[in-house]
Amino acid sequence: MENEEKMMTGEESLSVITEMINKTRVSVTQSSFHLLFWGWLIFVCSLSEFILWKFVGWTNSWYVWFFVIPGTVVSLIYGFTRGKKEKVFTYGTSIYVWTWIAFLFASIVFFIVYPLETGSVAKYMLLMAAIPLFISGVILKFRPLMWGAGAFWFLALVAHFGGETVSGLAMPVAMIVGYLIPGYLLRKRGSHDTFQGA
Amino acid sequence: MTPFRELDPLLHSQLRLAIMSVLISVDSAGFSYLREKTEATAGNLSVQIGKLKDAGYISVSKSFGESYPQTMCSITDLGRKKFAEYVAALGDYLKI
Repeated sequence: MENEEKMMTGEESLSVITEMINKTRVSVTQSSFHLLFWGWLIFVCSLSEFILWKFVGWTNSWYVWFFVIPGTVVSLIYGFTRGKKEKVFTYGTSIYVWTWIAFLFASIVFFIVYPLETGSVAKYMLLMAAIPLFISGVILKFRPLMWGAGAFWFLALVAHFGGETVSGLAMPVAMIVGYLIPGYLLRKRGSHDTFQGA
Repeated sequence: MTPFRELDPLLHSQLRLAIMSVLISVDSAGFSYLREKTEATAGNLSVQIGKLKDAGYISVSKSFGESYPQTMCSITDLGRKKFAEYVAALGDYLKI
């Protein structure tokens, strides 16, 4: 588009509008990084907590969850530094980012009013985490994330109604199904850690 | 017979219409992104962005990335209204 004042016919105008809108698609960078980072972190924490409690008999096995604090710092720093390099923010990108930040705020409030040592929080966290996961799937039109969210809700029920052993395994299983598998699929499908939805 | 609505001359230019079409679809877009999508030269794009900004159709903000300035553009309420009017007038013109 070199001619700065080039006038167009109506058909050409319509063609320009259509072409430009089609070129602008939901682009969410970093999505696979965060899914894989949190997937592995929560998987290791939840499985460690279960093993230390079940097989070692350590009653304070919930201490492993303190690793989430430096994990949050790493995730925020990575997201912030990468976000500053973003060339465009689509409405989908903004909704995607703010939905996860809203989940972070909700989680902080949750852990203030419901400390970890009061018992298993898996069912509540799965219930909450499924919402941004489902919305992410809708925005990116990426069904594995939506199925992952469905699995989270199902596993929240399992964590509630299952015995202690079953409940303890609900979170690591959820991480595999909801974060890690979709995360690797997303990374495979996107290029350079960027996935474009419709 | 309904008379044709006049097409906004500010929008009825290929590059400015392309810029507005990109910005109508996104929250905000950087200069390099607009350049990539419109395939315009930096100088030409800069001039047309200035015209749209002066007319109040878009807003432009500058921030600093790691070591270089980043220009971000977003459509204003006026720009959104003018774009909608342009598309409606175009619809009349093309009878669609």
